[in-house]
Amino acid sequence: MNALMIKGLIFAAVLIGATVAVVSSMNIDLSDPINMITMIGAVAIAGLSVGVSIKYINQMKTDTATGELVDHNWDGIGEYKNELPSGWAFSFLGTLIWAIWYMLAGYPVNAFSQIGQYNEEVLAHQEKFEAKHKNADAATLQQMGESIFLVQCAPCHGETGDGLSGKAQDFATRESKEQILDVIANGSNQLKYPMGAMPGGMASGADAEAIADYIVGGMKGEAPASYGVCAGCHGADGAGNGGTAPNIADYDDVLVHNVLENGKKGVIGIMPSFKGRFTPVQEKALTTYLHSLEN
Amino acid sequence: MFHWLEKNPFFFSVGVFVVIAFAGLVEILPNFAEASRPVVGLKPYTVLELAGKEVYKKDACIACHSQLIRPFKSETDRYGQVSLSGEYAYDRPFLWGSKRTGPDLHRVGNYRTTDWHENHMWDPKSVVPQSIMPAYKHMFTNIADIETAYAEAVTVKNVFATPYGDEFKGTRAAWEAHKPKVLADAKLITADMKNKDVKDAVEAGNIPEIVALIAYMNRLK
Repeated sequence: MNALMIKGLIFAAVLIGATVAVVSSMNIDLSDPINMITMIGAVAIAGLSVGVSIKYINQMKTDTATGELVDHNWDGIGEYKNELPSGWAFSFLGTLIWAIWYMLAGYPVNAFSQIGQYNEEVLAHQEKFEAKHKNADAATLQQMGESIFLVQCAPCHGETGDGLSGKAQDFATRESKEQILDVIANGSNQLKYPMGAMPGGMASGADAEAIADYIVGGMKGEAPASYGVCAGCHGADGAGNGGTAPNIADYDDVLVHNVLENGKKGVIGIMPSFKGRFTPVQEKALTTYLHSLEN
Repeated sequence: MFHWLEKNPFFFSVGVFVVIAFAGLVEILPNFAEASRPVVGLKPYTVLELAGKEVYKKDACIACHSQLIRPFKSETDRYGQVSLSGEYAYDRPFLWGSKRTGPDLHRVGNYRTTDWHENHMWDPKSVVPQSIMPAYKHMFTNIADIETAYAEAVTVKNVFATPYGDEFKGTRAAWEAHKPKVLADAKLITADMKNKDVKDAVEAGNIPEIVALIAYMNRLK
């Protein structure tokens, strides 16, 4: 064991000692595998650095170069004839092949897209969100619905959902007399229900008035005889026959979904489509919140 | 051949810079060209929309509103899809903005309507109670400069080859022939508006700034 080796071992011991001292002074939890691996890495680096240094310093002291020199020399400095190191040669060939693949197939076909990556992340997040809130309770839905409503709906419908004195749908009621009369007179085919278009003029005059009064009044008591023509599609209770026609008595999931999907042009004005802006859970939350706005 | 370079470090540095800069250009420029190409389906602004864009600039909407939706969940949830550079291909200049005192407007045409803008520009607090946006009542009386907007369309057509039709020419006759189209566009907007004075002005052939601005807002999708 020569002096160099002893110095090296002392130096390695100092490095490892310093590492251990720093780790223990910083109160690092070594039962955490990441911390433990890092610690082992630090010790290995200290050992390897010293070991490799000793090897090469010894080699420089003792080795003499041998081999055949190339003919040319540069101001007296010559170079040995050496085979290409096989590791280097193979990586060089590999790089050539990779470059051809990358130029012809890799870059044009698999080019990175920031927007694509973003969309994938959003989709993944939405799936997680849907799974998490699949069976959300009413309070969560109410809260979620309120926050969506305040951002997306309130600018037109008002913060309390009152429609800002006739500028938009008033969520305190399902519909106003004016709206019902308008739909009876003009029909509607905007919400894409399976039942299809509602033709205009199915009732008129006093009949239409009676229907409108009955629906606005919350569909209580005896239905007027003229309501029979509505009940065919919207159901005797006005609930829309399980989602095949619009629910005219109340806001339900299907109605909220269809209005958001298709937008709506009514007697009040135009509501733009919000297609693709909400997940099913968010739509359910909005429905829950709209219920709480009703009188 | 290049021995003299080894003796002249300055020129050697210049040479290194040129080589690396060239490699950079080869990498970067094709991507820029690709990204700034108009997205599929993008149409140049109509004359009325251009006039609205001028109003947008003149009244410094850009001081408080941006037109750039960044790829963050909070932004795409509120404003819609991320903005692509190809969507600004016909914006000269683009109006990205860097300040959001008010909300982003890049896709405002998707979720606001003509009558909402009418109410809002007349009195912002009537629709958004906490709004700090000032009212822009002068837009209801100021007449939009559609003639200059037409000249702008002709200019960007000639200078940047923006795909306006052949009928866009820098002559008085061409403008007179195009003017009824602008008025027809304006009438489509006023059909959804309530303000009587604005409707009358358009009937009389004058387009108030509010109509042009709403046309521009509705176009932002």
